[in-house]
Amino acid sequence: MAEMWINMGPQHPMTHGLWNLRVKVDGETIVDAEPEVGYLHRGIEKLCEARTYPQIIPIADRLCYGSSLTWSHLYCLTVEDLMDIEVPERAEYIRVMAIEMQRIASHLMWLAAYAGDLGLAVGFTYTMRDREVFVDLLQALTGSRLTYNYPRIGGVAHDLPPDFERDTVRAVQYMEMRLKEYEDLFDGSKIFMMRNVGIGILRKEDGINLGVTGPSLRASGVDYDLRKDMPYSVYPEMDFEVVKHEDGDCYARYRVRMDEMWESCRIIRQALQKMPTGRWRVVAPRNAPVGTGLGRVEDPRGEAVMYAVGDGTDRPYRLKIRSPIFVTVSAAPKILVGYKLADVVAIMGGLDMCIGENDR
Amino acid sequence: MNLYQFCYGIVHWLVGLVNNIWYWLGDFLPWYFGDLFTAIGNFAASEGHLWFMTLLVESVVVVVIALINVLNFLWIFRKLSGRILDFYGPYYVGYRIGGWLQNLADGMKLFIKEIIVPTKADRLGFLLAPVIFVGSSLTILAVIPFSVDFGISTSESGEYVSAGALFALAAFSIAPFAILLAGWSSNNKYTLIGGMRSAAQMMSYEIPLILCAASVFLLAGSFNFVEIVDAQSGIWFFIPLFIGFVVFLICLMAEVEIIPFDLPEAEAELVEGWTTEYGGMRFGLFYMTTAVRSYAGGALATALFLGGWHGPSFLPDEIWFLIKAYIVFTVFMWLTWSVPRIRIDQMLVFGWRRLLPLAVLNLLIAAALKSGGWF
Amino acid sequence: MSEGDKRSSAGVVGIETAPSRVGENPERRVLRALAESFPKTVSEGTQLRPGVMRAKVDRSDLYSVCRTLREDLGFEHLTMISAVDYDDRFEIIYHIASYQSRLLIELISTTPKDDPVVDSVSSIWGGANWQERESYDLMGIEFKSHPKLERILLPKDVLYHPLRKDFRG
Repeated sequence: MAEMWINMGPQHPMTHGLWNLRVKVDGETIVDAEPEVGYLHRGIEKLCEARTYPQIIPIADRLCYGSSLTWSHLYCLTVEDLMDIEVPERAEYIRVMAIEMQRIASHLMWLAAYAGDLGLAVGFTYTMRDREVFVDLLQALTGSRLTYNYPRIGGVAHDLPPDFERDTVRAVQYMEMRLKEYEDLFDGSKIFMMRNVGIGILRKEDGINLGVTGPSLRASGVDYDLRKDMPYSVYPEMDFEVVKHEDGDCYARYRVRMDEMWESCRIIRQALQKMPTGRWRVVAPRNAPVGTGLGRVEDPRGEAVMYAVGDGTDRPYRLKIRSPIFVTVSAAPKILVGYKLADVVAIMGGLDMCIGENDR
Repeated sequence: MNLYQFCYGIVHWLVGLVNNIWYWLGDFLPWYFGDLFTAIGNFAASEGHLWFMTLLVESVVVVVIALINVLNFLWIFRKLSGRILDFYGPYYVGYRIGGWLQNLADGMKLFIKEIIVPTKADRLGFLLAPVIFVGSSLTILAVIPFSVDFGISTSESGEYVSAGALFALAAFSIAPFAILLAGWSSNNKYTLIGGMRSAAQMMSYEIPLILCAASVFLLAGSFNFVEIVDAQSGIWFFIPLFIGFVVFLICLMAEVEIIPFDLPEAEAELVEGWTTEYGGMRFGLFYMTTAVRSYAGGALATALFLGGWHGPSFLPDEIWFLIKAYIVFTVFMWLTWSVPRIRIDQMLVFGWRRLLPLAVLNLLIAAALKSGGWF
Repeated sequence: MSEGDKRSSAGVVGIETAPSRVGENPERRVLRALAESFPKTVSEGTQLRPGVMRAKVDRSDLYSVCRTLREDLGFEHLTMISAVDYDDRFEIIYHIASYQSRLLIELISTTPKDDPVVDSVSSIWGGANWQERESYDLMGIEFKSHPKLERILLPKDVLYHPLRKDFRG
């Protein structure tokens, strides 16, 4: 068969969002690939320039439908850096607990989509079912289920609801039980291993050079996690380990995310144990000083950065958002070439695409 | 009374009734018309015509019952998917019978949808492919009897097509041709790749499938379903030929294109594969035909390996046959939902390097058993 | 991989284990090295907080500064390229991180309003490719010798650069 271009997207079951991956195939083998993004561009950076600082928190939530809490948290971190606000310790602990819950929910959604891509229907429904547990917890905490609008500049919107500690401990116990089950379901499946081991290998040097971050890079053997290496919030108080793998294939990326869920469970427990009493919010000034603020966090998908420029008014002069997926997608051709057409879903699914933050 | 006698009775009674009216009408006509009427009436009452009409009526009865079975299958498929995948399945349409009517509702909805032929499609091929696919799949049903009495037989004593099992396997393997035709004529890259995959895949599973069936033919000494099942009255063939049974089931899963082997319509990478461009009732037909093929596959496995209609006598033979076919189908569904989709090159490797040697080994075992005189 | 391997494989190299001279923290060392190599073009090197530095770079020397950072000082990860439209200038801000020494440096390069051109660093960091395209797309900064400087988020036929302050929808 002669070589031909195939559009996988914009409307394609593989894409999980609205983007286009053009692959050039020779028979079933990929010889070239070219991602096209921008279908979901909403101009959020421009939008933010016309909003006051508190008004941007809900917009930051809309950056990613998979893990919106980490983005509003990142925004608040950035503005606190800009305004030089000291956040109460209780708020920091609540934030850390909430974003670790969000990380588990996001990784579970990734796992569901990944299993669905590979045709493993049980994997899809079971993980989505268990994601509900954490979404319900976050709902109890924040009041919404998808875009939480919970962190505030200088703290969080409100304190923990009654019985929240009890529910969280139960949820974490349940999750640890389920994670064992998933490891049996996925790692125990011969076909799953055939579809993952040795597929989509991203070498360490390539991953670093192309700016791939987060779990995808740690799967290639780079030991770098911003929670540990450039700690923010109260992560220095937490005892957890940076998960990494050496192989750089789809299976390593899967493994890293699974192990990160274990670590997140640990962090949630510790945050609950160490949570101090006190205030959970301080009043933030209305206007930001002239200057810049930088927030840099470990999103479930990689390294998320925001850079805010204040000009003394109540609106940011400029808010630049660094999306981890935007850079990771640009590395896709490097990973894809040489594998089969059916591996596209495994590889791109393994990178955990989220188009909301990608296109902004 | 077998199905032939039953249908013959119906046809005989109907022809007699019509002939009575016919002859009575003839009485009103002049003699030269009346003689013609009498000749036609005599032809209608002749044995050859009655035989032919009986076969037609038999086919209709078998296919209608098979299609009702298919509705059952689809319903079980959906309910079982729900049980396995943690959702309810069909529920509201036909509330009192467990959502059984949901498939009819879906079919009705598909019926009223517009039929679209893409402008750049090859119109003849595009329209012909569903016909071949559905027709060949329904043909399988014609030769698989539910019991000694229930099946399309050609004489009063219950003779069946002598090479029925071969015919069923042959009809089974026509579908990849239809898929290739559909994939090519739709003029779409996804369908084209789907069609090509189907053709490549067929090579890898069809040969082990036929080899496993051949071992059964060897033991039974016949291609006739009734004789094959009779040969299992002592011991069902899946016990001596266990390897062959497993290989046969795996190949059947590939044959009916369900999940580890649904590569031609791998929905994650090829949208809907070779059915991408088909909409409306054509898609409905494909959907239904998949169930027909699952049912036919289950029936084939039952007849060849699971002792057909043999079973304790508190249930009729036909019910035993259906129960076994349903169990095979249930195992298919169970596997389908719990494994991911395999890749096409892995499928070929699996077919050629694993299934084929096992099938040959199974054939050797069958030959040894036969020559050793145990069967 | 067993449970034990999983837990033990994640050893962490902290900031304090990075090689440094006595009495000089790694941030100072990096800033001093930059200032020594490029005395004319790198200015205002400051440490913002532990692990984070800032320096201004003249755009004429941006490429070689980046090259030095990448190859001599171990800054192997280009985190982010941001462009800011001020009244009198464009600022192009590079956040560059190091995986070994856990540092982050913020390089600020300035271009005049009527000539928003800087050198492309996409040959140093492959990850800069799309970020430069994005800055070109939204802010209209041109990156010299970029392999494919096209619009990426907006359609190809858009005539404006929406993040500029003079853009009115």
